[in-house]
Amino acid sequence: MNNVINAIDLKIGYSSNSILANIEELKIKQGEIVSIIGESGIGKTTFLKNIAHLLKPISGTLEILNSDDTPERGEVGYIPQNLGLIKHETVFFNVLEGAICNESILRSISGLHEEKVIDKVEEAIELMNLSNKIDEPIKRLSGGQQRRVAIARTMAQGPKLILADEFLSELDDKTVESVWKAMMDYANSNDITLVIVEHNIERAKLADRCFKLEKNDEIEYSILSEVKI
Amino acid sequence: MNIKRKKYPIFLGFILITTYLVFVDLVDGDWSSLENSLDNLSTFFYESLWPPNWKVIEAQSYPVCERNWDFLCSPAYIGITETLKIAFVATGLGFILSLPLATLASRNLYSDSIAIPFRLLLSAMRTLPSIIWAIFFVILVGLGPVSGVLAMTFYTIGYLGKMQYETIEGLSNDPLDAAKAMGLKNSEVIQRVVIPETANNLISQLFFMFEYNVRHGSVIGIVGAGGIGYYISTYLKFLQYDKVIALLIILFIVVVIIDLISIKARSYFVDGDTFKSPSLFENFFRVK
Repeated sequence: MNNVINAIDLKIGYSSNSILANIEELKIKQGEIVSIIGESGIGKTTFLKNIAHLLKPISGTLEILNSDDTPERGEVGYIPQNLGLIKHETVFFNVLEGAICNESILRSISGLHEEKVIDKVEEAIELMNLSNKIDEPIKRLSGGQQRRVAIARTMAQGPKLILADEFLSELDDKTVESVWKAMMDYANSNDITLVIVEHNIERAKLADRCFKLEKNDEIEYSILSEVKI
Repeated sequence: MNIKRKKYPIFLGFILITTYLVFVDLVDGDWSSLENSLDNLSTFFYESLWPPNWKVIEAQSYPVCERNWDFLCSPAYIGITETLKIAFVATGLGFILSLPLATLASRNLYSDSIAIPFRLLLSAMRTLPSIIWAIFFVILVGLGPVSGVLAMTFYTIGYLGKMQYETIEGLSNDPLDAAKAMGLKNSEVIQRVVIPETANNLISQLFFMFEYNVRHGSVIGIVGAGGIGYYISTYLKFLQYDKVIALLIILFIVVVIIDLISIKARSYFVDGDTFKSPSLFENFFRVK
């Protein structure tokens, strides 16, 4: 089975003078669900942004989907901590943002979307039980519904790898359970690799494997190690 | 927080003392020019400025005007409509041209190697005030509203462009990161994230710029670039200050009306539950 993420002796941070974390070796296979835990400010989000090619590693090897180059259009889905939704726009508009990865830039810019793209949007919205909210602006939705929109956007995109950054924070237990289940079901049924940064250890344990970023007394930066769950 | 608050009086005191010292240095001990200033102001106000001469809203004898209503042939109407037309076209053109330049100058969308040259270009366009642009275009295309439109358009691009790239750079990183991680191209990120997220600010800036350009119509007209400024300049030359003040009052009323329309228009772009369109009273007195 192919490695979707392959990191060797990877140093991450914002400059070579301030290395946040070192990942000696990390191999994540296709279809695996992996959680990353650790204290605030330890480098979890920075690591996720490196995987998403939003930041460049300081040194080392980082291959995503068997390439150290920028992934192909639509191959990586990223759900930031604050979801990254366009608050004044509707559910449809936001989910369409993911779906346009499946068509040419010309079609996307001109607004002449292919029928299959619109179908993907409607299908994702229906799967997330948001059909009755399709024309609602995001800011009028509850926290749980907004997270469902973020998942629907990623579903409509159809990525091979999903990166989610503490996207369940500030939700009540019941909502967390339903959103988490929706995400897991989607990843499992489509053989998608899911990397979740999570502060809640109980939820992190639901993943196939769990990694922890932590500092020790000898070195300034944190290191990633697998935690037995 | 408390420490910062304690520093405010010291900071204000420092500004006051520095301002006073620099002013004393500028005056260089010669305070005589200020001695009779209040008397001079009072004489000028009551003998030359007040009351305003409302003949400016009556029909002028030249050029020949055959409209039915006198007011439609008056310098005030002709001047202000030309100024509004110049400002409208210049603001529209400036907005259309500044937006692509502003996105290219935004450092959260493009690398420094692209953003910095475009910032310098916008900065260069802003460095020259609209009156200098007006002189330049009057020389280039001659007297009249076309040079006024060109002058205002150039200044609008520089000024509006700066406001736009600052707004774009103030965007939250999350929607941009999500879009970039998906692999969307910059043109798509601009269309699907940047414009929707900044629309309200961009429209607000557009109205501000239109109002600014209407006000500046009185300045650029002075160098022959058309509009109400042409009449103001003529009355100034003939020392008819009472007519100047009448035109300035009309200009002030027009600017206030534009301001009110812009506030109302903004409310259409933001949903009712987050932005309550203020009443006329609230606009001026900030009562909530």
